[in-house]
Amino acid sequence: MVNESDKVVSGDAHDAGDVCEGALRDVSLSGEVAMNDQANAEKQSETGEGKRGRGRSYAWGVVMDTLRRRSALVGLLWLVLVGVFAVFSPVLANSAPVLMKTEAGVSSPLVKMLTAVDVILLVMFLVTGLMWFGGRLGVLVSAGRRVVVWLGVLVLVMGVSFATIEPPRIVDYGKWRAMDAAGEIEWAVYAPIRYSPTDRLAGQARKAPTGEHWFGTEANGSDVLSRIIHACRIAMAIGFIATGISLVIGVVLGGLMGYFSGVVDMIGMRLVEIFEAIPTLFLLLICVAFFGRNLYVMMAIIGLVGWPGYCRFIRAEFLKLRQQDFVHAARACGLPLRSILFRHMLPNGVAPVLVSASFGIASAILAEATLSFLGLGLVEEPSWGQMLNQSLSSAGTFEWWIALYPGLAIFLTVFAYNLIGESLRDAIDPYLNRG
Amino acid sequence: MTETHDRPILRIADLALSFPVVRSEGGAGGGGKRAKPQAAGEKVGGEVGGRMQAVRGISLSIYAKQTLAVVGESGCGKSVTAMSTLRLVPTPPGRYESGSIWWRDEKTNQEVDLLTLSEKQMRSIRGDQIAMIFQEPMTSLNPVYTIGEQIIEAVRLHRDVTQAEAVEIAASALDDVGIGDAKQRLKEYPHQLSGGMRQRVMIAMALACRPRLLLADEPTTALDVTIQAQILELLRALQEQHDMAVLLITHDLGVVAENADVVAVIYAGRLVEYTDVVTLFDRPMHPYTRGLLGSIPRLGQRADRLQTVSDGATIPEDFPAGWKVHPHVVGPEGLATYANDKLGLHEVEPNHWVLCEPMADGPHAGAKAAAPDLAYRREGVGV
Repeated sequence: MVNESDKVVSGDAHDAGDVCEGALRDVSLSGEVAMNDQANAEKQSETGEGKRGRGRSYAWGVVMDTLRRRSALVGLLWLVLVGVFAVFSPVLANSAPVLMKTEAGVSSPLVKMLTAVDVILLVMFLVTGLMWFGGRLGVLVSAGRRVVVWLGVLVLVMGVSFATIEPPRIVDYGKWRAMDAAGEIEWAVYAPIRYSPTDRLAGQARKAPTGEHWFGTEANGSDVLSRIIHACRIAMAIGFIATGISLVIGVVLGGLMGYFSGVVDMIGMRLVEIFEAIPTLFLLLICVAFFGRNLYVMMAIIGLVGWPGYCRFIRAEFLKLRQQDFVHAARACGLPLRSILFRHMLPNGVAPVLVSASFGIASAILAEATLSFLGLGLVEEPSWGQMLNQSLSSAGTFEWWIALYPGLAIFLTVFAYNLIGESLRDAIDPYLNRG
Repeated sequence: MTETHDRPILRIADLALSFPVVRSEGGAGGGGKRAKPQAAGEKVGGEVGGRMQAVRGISLSIYAKQTLAVVGESGCGKSVTAMSTLRLVPTPPGRYESGSIWWRDEKTNQEVDLLTLSEKQMRSIRGDQIAMIFQEPMTSLNPVYTIGEQIIEAVRLHRDVTQAEAVEIAASALDDVGIGDAKQRLKEYPHQLSGGMRQRVMIAMALACRPRLLLADEPTTALDVTIQAQILELLRALQEQHDMAVLLITHDLGVVAENADVVAVIYAGRLVEYTDVVTLFDRPMHPYTRGLLGSIPRLGQRADRLQTVSDGATIPEDFPAGWKVHPHVVGPEGLATYANDKLGLHEVEPNHWVLCEPMADGPHAGAKAAAPDLAYRREGVGV
């Protein structure tokens, strides 16, 4: 207490009442002078830096810092590649010619083969690209408006595609080869890889890589490379959707637990512990037994069981943040709970969760691969794990090409997510320490 | 002395707030207070039924344009009192044992008890009619948004204005607090500003909606002395400009002497003395206040050792008859003294309230504790 009050400028305590008026005038005068000095000094330092205008936001700083690391760039590059494969897989690997000229005229069998999902992905990729260029040229600059336009186009395209596009159920992939062999086709443009993933070549099963089949063929005679490319979509989708479900649940629950603490926290933590005790893989096995092999059920299960980790992270962050002055200030401003939790607290506490989410995506991919490897994954659609499973033939021989390439794809993708996650963590750390 | 308005805009009556005694960490103990691990400070009010009385019997009133300084040491209940006014103390764990906080609405001129309002009604008062600024300018602004975004969000919440109008309001608010080139500054992030600038931004944010009352929770403690003077000067000017009342929480008696109209001294969660600033410095009556003032080192005087609060905590010889004031004792026994239910705030001299006990055989026997009410406002401040 003695130390705290030693800043008093007025002299004798007993005649402070008289003194304080005079002291006050002095202080206010010197205060004004000091205020001008301060303003000038700040102006100078400002011009010295030579920078004005919008500063670097925290989020932007973290993104730039992450991308400055080479490992993150490598990881991102691989993921972009996988993403492009996922979007363009039907155009990259297809038995149907892109364009062909027959007696009936020029036609495009490949376009007729496209499914609604293929069309949606291709159109949205195009729209996103156009928007990016538009932003560069100064069209549709506002982020909010862009999102609205993007979502509008998405809904429109989805509606139209699902209503109108109906690809043939059963396709005879050999048709075009036969036509080609018979000389019915005058000229044709083929996809880079001339085999669809489900194009089972008779008598070609388990053939080692050749010039025709770069990565060899698998148990049913399908081209391994084609299957790997088509499986990119599943790998991307399962990672993002499963982790997205986990993130939403984890962030909302964790946020409420951390903010309210007390009883809410107590009940929430028990829930977290219950869900942590569920072994994901065995639950997946059981669900496959009950609901059959369904990719969406798989995503939902992985998502619904994977949230406790994120929940813990967010809870811990919010417990720390709720005592911070800016949260008090936000409450003192009269902001509603929704805004305090998700606008003010979440951006400050989401960083560690994003790091862990990048690892989460990797583990979701692994979970699907594991399931497929065990033979409980998808049957018809290609997936990396399922291909691994086929590498060991029933005769007991091991076909290395069926194992190596899909295995490499899994490894590289998981590795890429981990690289990005680590870089993100490293980028966030100094920011946290900087206070 | 000038009488400002005939009725106070805020009237706290007999407020008592308690927290459960929880030793472990985990968010439950004393949620509303910033200074958490202060066992001595938090225990002050004494424990009743496993609950710790953070404050009790707090009564005060603030008039428009008035500055009421709440003075006391760390953990004495200053901040909790201010937080209670905005209902920012989490309940549970906190619990209002008694009391009411009457807020007089400008438009209707009706008094409402803030403690009975719904959370939604409370939200419309927070930031709009009562605003608050905090001690730490370094952490009171959200690091992920520009200061413009933060001020504009607060403005648009309470005022029905377009984005463009809100930008104008925010820019003029920054202008008001002496930040030049406001339009550009709005686009800057908190980490681009110095501590003094941030506190100015906080003030701009708090005042953007033109509140009637500003709760300033140690607004200058974290700033160095020159910036302190600037900020206080600024607050005073804005108070004059907007006809705003200020509840100034501080432990710095220098700040009190320069800024306050009326002073409330709090110790151990109880109001110990309440009077106008001149009287308080001229004629402190309660032993604790006397000790506090006596402990201020005097300029130009040599002393081998500084005086502690306890050294100067004497009972004045001319204490009005009929009142019994307890001596100030430090430590657990002292806390027990302050927890004594017989003690109450009594007007022992005109416009001078002191925590004491009416003597059973004196002229004031059976007197009930009074709610202090003082419309004093000193002249010539900030003009």
